[in-house]
Amino acid sequence: MGPAHIDRTVLPEAAVLEEAPPSPARKRPFALRSLAPYGYISPTMLLIFVLLVIPIAMVVSYSFQDNVIVEKNPVFAGLANYTKVLTDPVFWTAIKNTFLFITLSTIAHLVLGLAFAMMLNTGLLGGLTKAIFRVVYILPWLFTIAVVAVIWRLMLDPFGVVNYILTTLGILGTEVNWLADPSTALWALTFINIWSGYPFFMISLLAGLQGISSDLYEAAAVDGANPIQQFFNITIPQLKPVLISMAVLDLIWTSQQFALIWLTTGGGPLNVTEMLSTYTYKQAFSSYEFATASASAVIVLLMTMILAFFYVRQLRER
Amino acid sequence: MKIGVILGLCLGAVFAGFPVVWMLSTSLKPNGEVFQVPPRLITDNFSFDAYWKILTDPTQLRFFLNSYIVALWVTALTLLVGILAGYSFSRYEFRLKRFINVAIVSVQAVPPITLVIPYFGLVVALGLYNTYGGLIVTHMVFTLPYAIIMTTAYFNTLPRELDESVKVDGGSGWTALWRILVPISVPGLIAVGIYTFMISWNEYLFALTLTRTDDMRTVPIGIQLLMGQHSYEWNQMMAMSILGSIPVLILFLLFQRRFIGGLTSGAVKS
Amino acid sequence: MTRGSTGGQSRLKRLLGVVTAAMLAVAAVGCGTGSGEGSAGSSEQGGPVTLEFAQWWAPELPDGAFQELMTQFESQNPNIKVKLLSGPYASTKQQLVSGAASKTLPDVVGLDGAWVNDFAKQGAITDLSALMAEAKYDESQLASQIKVDEKTYMIPVVNFVYPLFVNKDLSSKAGVKAVPTNRSEFLDAAKKISALGGNVKGWALPLDTAVPNGIQNDVMSWLWASGGSMLTPDGKPNLTSPPVKSTVEYVKSLNDADVIAPGSLTMKEQDKVEKFTAGQVGMMIDSLAHITLIKKNSPKLDFTVAPIPAEDSYTGKRGLPYASWGIGIADSSEHKAEAFKLVEFLMSQQANAQLSTLANGFPGNNTAEPDFSKSDPLFKTAFDIYKKGYPANEFVGLPKSEELMRTFDEQLQLALTGKQSVDDALNKTQQSWASVI
Repeated sequence: MGPAHIDRTVLPEAAVLEEAPPSPARKRPFALRSLAPYGYISPTMLLIFVLLVIPIAMVVSYSFQDNVIVEKNPVFAGLANYTKVLTDPVFWTAIKNTFLFITLSTIAHLVLGLAFAMMLNTGLLGGLTKAIFRVVYILPWLFTIAVVAVIWRLMLDPFGVVNYILTTLGILGTEVNWLADPSTALWALTFINIWSGYPFFMISLLAGLQGISSDLYEAAAVDGANPIQQFFNITIPQLKPVLISMAVLDLIWTSQQFALIWLTTGGGPLNVTEMLSTYTYKQAFSSYEFATASASAVIVLLMTMILAFFYVRQLRER
Repeated sequence: MKIGVILGLCLGAVFAGFPVVWMLSTSLKPNGEVFQVPPRLITDNFSFDAYWKILTDPTQLRFFLNSYIVALWVTALTLLVGILAGYSFSRYEFRLKRFINVAIVSVQAVPPITLVIPYFGLVVALGLYNTYGGLIVTHMVFTLPYAIIMTTAYFNTLPRELDESVKVDGGSGWTALWRILVPISVPGLIAVGIYTFMISWNEYLFALTLTRTDDMRTVPIGIQLLMGQHSYEWNQMMAMSILGSIPVLILFLLFQRRFIGGLTSGAVKS
Repeated sequence: MTRGSTGGQSRLKRLLGVVTAAMLAVAAVGCGTGSGEGSAGSSEQGGPVTLEFAQWWAPELPDGAFQELMTQFESQNPNIKVKLLSGPYASTKQQLVSGAASKTLPDVVGLDGAWVNDFAKQGAITDLSALMAEAKYDESQLASQIKVDEKTYMIPVVNFVYPLFVNKDLSSKAGVKAVPTNRSEFLDAAKKISALGGNVKGWALPLDTAVPNGIQNDVMSWLWASGGSMLTPDGKPNLTSPPVKSTVEYVKSLNDADVIAPGSLTMKEQDKVEKFTAGQVGMMIDSLAHITLIKKNSPKLDFTVAPIPAEDSYTGKRGLPYASWGIGIADSSEHKAEAFKLVEFLMSQQANAQLSTLANGFPGNNTAEPDFSKSDPLFKTAFDIYKKGYPANEFVGLPKSEELMRTFDEQLQLALTGKQSVDDALNKTQQSWASVI
């Protein structure tokens, strides 16, 4: 016998913590059995508790005080900081911009990631060709975000190479001020973020595509389905769990994006690229209002916890 | 159809690769020509000076060494802890499970910038300031949530019969985990490993805050050190980025066959 | 068929084994902690004291030059060792704030005048007046001291003034006969240079809100050059006064005349310099420290420096904006006396002159004469301008100066893009500043 019968549909299925189907009754003593999982998870809990939960608790406590960090004797302020944040129009601008930014980025990441993954998965090309393209497609992921910001700023300069190529090709009449014009800045920034983030999705979806059994496609072809129908009726449903979890994670990660925005537009011009991350940073290190910054962080945390909760619940019900 | 795919691939390659080509081109230009109009790929004063300068500077080389050490340790430890946690979530049912689930996903949402100061104080109190250990555990905290999510998912796709087969032979859950589950999940674990390595390699904020001396600093800090008060050392910055990306690229090349190719060869039908 | 051939499995195992071995080897090479513990400085019984000095200056100076100065100090003070710590300039302030909060600040810190008020309030830096009194230091040799509540917290070591840079090639090509001396001449010159077309414009205005120094260097400088002030005599904001209004309206007129280089709203100071160096901008207000840089990157560029143009009718002394490399001592330092010795050294006539020459700035010790013999003749020109005018930077010493600059910047951007009137912009900024100052 032995592990000979494994159907490895290795999709990061139910990519959050669903349990495997229950097994027949065990012979372990009840007490030991109930402790085992805690043992396995103890290193994680220790690490996360000490290094994440404690600082977060401190941030939460800061949010209820005034003059934290900058003065030696902080004063309890109740909900004052929250009120200050929630009534600040710039905060709401930041929320709106962040929402646009993360939604567009995530959708584009998934679409691009899937498109590239499918192209790299096709049987129409040889292994070497695909390997070369795989390497090229993963390039944006290799660079630290400061460099990505700096090189794109250079390229998107009004007299930089992007405008040069576009005007020479006749696509643009005159140079566009991609990052300094309030009407284009947010879209340019989103574009840069899409560029730097899609490889991760491409790789995960590629792995996912590999796991879809070709039998399904063969059977569908026999039934007369064309490639498009196969895509919508096989590929997408099989990838759905991956797609959903990647989407949720990307929304969260993108909302944390700070360096890219700071080094390209600093939240300007005219606040069109002001995000929650830059807003919080300015509160903390320019206004020295750590309490307000903490309040803003806690608000973001609460919003994400709601998102995470619904996401997890939706998984269990599936 | 094939032509369409090739065309698509080429367009995609331009999209992905052009900025990198521009990085390379900038690394070969003297600083004065970076803003030249019209922009040119190769300029008259083309030189590899920037690369020489970095490769012969012991401080910069130390940055590379530090980045490697930290990233490799983070990857190994995250995988270890992540495997244990994934096993727990996949194979057991216990009371706090849903709560921890939500917590792990949502703690990623706290803006790192607000965590810097309390975190800094904590690290100093633990005696981990300006050490490899401090950076390693910090990066682990960032990479663990995703690692756990992925290991759980991979283990979930493996039926419990596998565990049973070990237990019937007298083994324990631990043996089942390491003898059976992990070897089979290797391709997925490699994907998680690569992701973890990338995150650690490119991390800047905490690497800067938790280190003090040049012998502890990492490559992203080295790059930002070249962004001075008065001007940027464009060619050196780009050269350092490119040099920094090569080892990661090599890692990817070494392992990509494994986790992409290896998956299908693993499919078994009874 | 089992999962993966045995060949594949063992090959993978070997690969992983190699990687693990490499990792452990690498870790063995550089294992453990970095040099220097978390505490600032150390000393044993009767042993040497090690001072840690955090600054961003060393990378801006010729290789090894700053370390040499430290070695000089160490030879004069055998019991003190100095360890230089450098960090990326853009993150300096944030790192200092974090360091102060965790009490891990190095003994001596390089500071910018704009940060002093906030750090003093935070209790991060110590009162230098007390240290000076203890050491019986002769304060008269200091060109300036930055004080909060009558106590000195920072001493400017080197001052970098911001005169007007003019590209002579572009000017003569555009038919500009002489360097502009007042606002109308400047506007005229800018228009002529912009008329050259292509990608050339007369002026650059960096209004990046991430680092809003443009307000200090490129906008308020016009006000100060005409002897104006943005504050009332007792230090309250006075932004709705006629001089400030005329300054902002002047900047707006430059914008409306389309003489400003595109991308202004997110342009950083470094971009401004790059564009001037590349010959895309005819005139800019910039730090003297960039002279060497511009010459290095564009040796053929013919340019000169001049005082910032004043209002047409103004004949008094002209304020010249400046930024400094300042020095302070951490409040949490255990070696304040030794740290002050380092400050004394850097402010001493000989060392200060040496440092200023290396940095292309002006000395913070008013008896020190920088050695211009080996440097560009433009420095001598600039030094004369400096002596004829007065250093002007009202943001130094103000609380939350970065935030003040940013609020002004945001309102100015709205005015420049026509979304609100200059009066509204000034009123709103005035209100915002009043809640801070």
